[in-house]
Amino acid sequence: MAKWKLSKSQLRETGQGYLFMSPAILTIVVFLIGPILFALFLAFNRVNLLGDVSFDFVWFDNFTRMANDERALIALKNTAFYVGIVVPVQTILALVLASSLNAGMKGEKWFRVIYFLPTLTSSAVLVMIFMWMYRPDGLINTLLSGVGLPTYNWVNDPSVALISIMIMNIWATAPFFMVIYLAALQDIPDSLYEAAELDGASGIQKFWHVTVPLLRPVTAFAVIMGIIGTFQLFDQSYMFSGGSGGPNNSTLTVVLLIYQYAFSNNQMGYAAALAVALALIILTATLIQRKLQKDEQVY
Amino acid sequence: MKRAMWLKSIGLTSVFLAGAVLTACGDDGNNAVDGGVNGDGDGEEEVTVRLTGWQSSPTEQRYLEETIEAFEEEYPHINVQMDTIADQYMDVLQTRLIGGEAADVFFLDAFEAPRLIEAGVLEPLDSYVTEEFDVDDFEEPLIEAFRRDGQLWGLPKDTSTLALFYNKDHFEEAGIDTPPETWEEMEEMAKTLTVDNRYGLGIVTDLARLYFIAESQGGEVTVDNQANFTDPNVIDALQPIVDMKNEKEIAASPADVGAEWGGDMFGTERASMIIEGNWMIEFMEDAFPDVNYGVVEVPTINDNKGTMAYTVSYSMNEASEQKEEAWQLIEFLTGKEGMEIWTSSGLALPSRQSVAESLEYTDEAIYEPFIEGTSYATVWADDTNLPIINSNFENQFVSAFLGDQELEEAMEEAERVANNEIDN
Repeated sequence: MAKWKLSKSQLRETGQGYLFMSPAILTIVVFLIGPILFALFLAFNRVNLLGDVSFDFVWFDNFTRMANDERALIALKNTAFYVGIVVPVQTILALVLASSLNAGMKGEKWFRVIYFLPTLTSSAVLVMIFMWMYRPDGLINTLLSGVGLPTYNWVNDPSVALISIMIMNIWATAPFFMVIYLAALQDIPDSLYEAAELDGASGIQKFWHVTVPLLRPVTAFAVIMGIIGTFQLFDQSYMFSGGSGGPNNSTLTVVLLIYQYAFSNNQMGYAAALAVALALIILTATLIQRKLQKDEQVY
Repeated sequence: MKRAMWLKSIGLTSVFLAGAVLTACGDDGNNAVDGGVNGDGDGEEEVTVRLTGWQSSPTEQRYLEETIEAFEEEYPHINVQMDTIADQYMDVLQTRLIGGEAADVFFLDAFEAPRLIEAGVLEPLDSYVTEEFDVDDFEEPLIEAFRRDGQLWGLPKDTSTLALFYNKDHFEEAGIDTPPETWEEMEEMAKTLTVDNRYGLGIVTDLARLYFIAESQGGEVTVDNQANFTDPNVIDALQPIVDMKNEKEIAASPADVGAEWGGDMFGTERASMIIEGNWMIEFMEDAFPDVNYGVVEVPTINDNKGTMAYTVSYSMNEASEQKEEAWQLIEFLTGKEGMEIWTSSGLALPSRQSVAESLEYTDEAIYEPFIEGTSYATVWADDTNLPIINSNFENQFVSAFLGDQELEEAMEEAERVANNEIDN
């Protein structure tokens, strides 16, 4: 009650605080909060920006339209499939790579650097290199046929194009999480392993019952960041398909669809509605993940 | 969550905020008025006109620069500032138009034109055209593509048509003396020409290439600005293409053999015949000078000649602040003199009859089928929804072409999805 009235000195102090924060607040308002509010505004409007600019408030039309939009459903299905495969695989791969590097091999530091290189490569460069390797007469098919395995038309066959992108992204992203795992692994005290050894645990048992549980917070982090990152797949599929999401919509992702509606079809309102829907989907996925893994949050 | 929002903030701020800021700055910069500071003595202010286009080869760029130089010589007070958009031309152009940052004059493909005309961002050109300019000299179907609501929204800078390229060496090996004249002959020859790692015919599966074939049996691909792929006549016309690939195995698309495009497929000798445009002549000379090839008109279907014509206009930005000078630039580039310099490259064919008659190419035999084609070609242009119809066709036709589903099913699906998208 009395708290509502601030004394002069308190006011000055508060004012000073906000003054010091003002550069940050201004930046956040202009570049984060403003655009978010504007995106929400757009999502409820039919927007035309080309020529005569118009905003018609259409309530939930943009959202109901999604249910009938075939391509939105395909995009969502593709994206979900992509997330479902890439997140577990890259997380497990990162853990395996990190444990192998933590085992105290010779030249461990070198391997760490080498493993990390793909993460440092720009995704555009990566896609160019992979598309070249994915050619029907390219490196990957040559290797496959060399050992007697079937070859694929990696880029142009609708049934494998998305898988090609998955392989590429797992290869590029796993090392990033590997480094995080590695840092966490080095934090696990040796005494725990010694205790496990005294109890007669084997190497595999130590891994499953000591290492994995102690890495749970890091795993949670890796999974959430992975989900967020993979749901937003755009640049790779954009480059792979030249912006079309083809062949046969097989590499169409939600963000690519948003881009197409916003910049090619001039339907900014619907694009914003899709973006809001995507944000909600990611939020839900993250919340479910948090629920499943309640303890030891570190993020 | 936060990152999802970031994505939006990046996308949206770049359009709205940056767009708004840039407009403000751009308006000052655009005019670049020298105000006669140089004291040229002619009393005219120096004006900068901006021109946006794309560029498919360095040669093309050279010829365009040459044409522009000739223009600047004739109009010393106008300074042309050219910039090229390397990729996703329409996306970039639209975004610039929205942001008020688009050039005074830009290239516009006939296929995309209706949408921009409807949006009202183009300047109608009728009031600028003079008697002397001679609009009637343009090939009727080409200029027609830029007419809408009784007004003219662009002038075709040139045209390109399709013809059949065939590899003479392969023909000789197979013991075929003359190139095909009818579609049946071509299929027959493709069969003979197909050997283990080489296909008789290369097929580009875009609607932009297949449109005239699809309509060759009397069907119509679009009706009332909607997709009409399920017309039995359209399906009948397209079925032979799919059969050549799947049943007869005598044809393939560039993607099937890992080629970037038709020229790549033909140049690396993975196809003995291919229907491609006149742009391929220069490419073959540069990249595959050793391939011995000939060009003939596209084989007739049911005794009817047919091919596609593509055309691009110079159109004026409605928001331009120097419309008079912008028109002078368009007038020169699409006028007889400018077009002659530009099309002498052979990269594109003239859209004016008078220029087509006067122009002489060194390698007449190669260019002739393309020039012949302009008289009976179907122009790749329709109405505002053609881009949507086109992308849905491509998506589904590819799957039929790959043998994943029957053509009829694919076309039903394509039509349904396209028209659903249009209705929204």
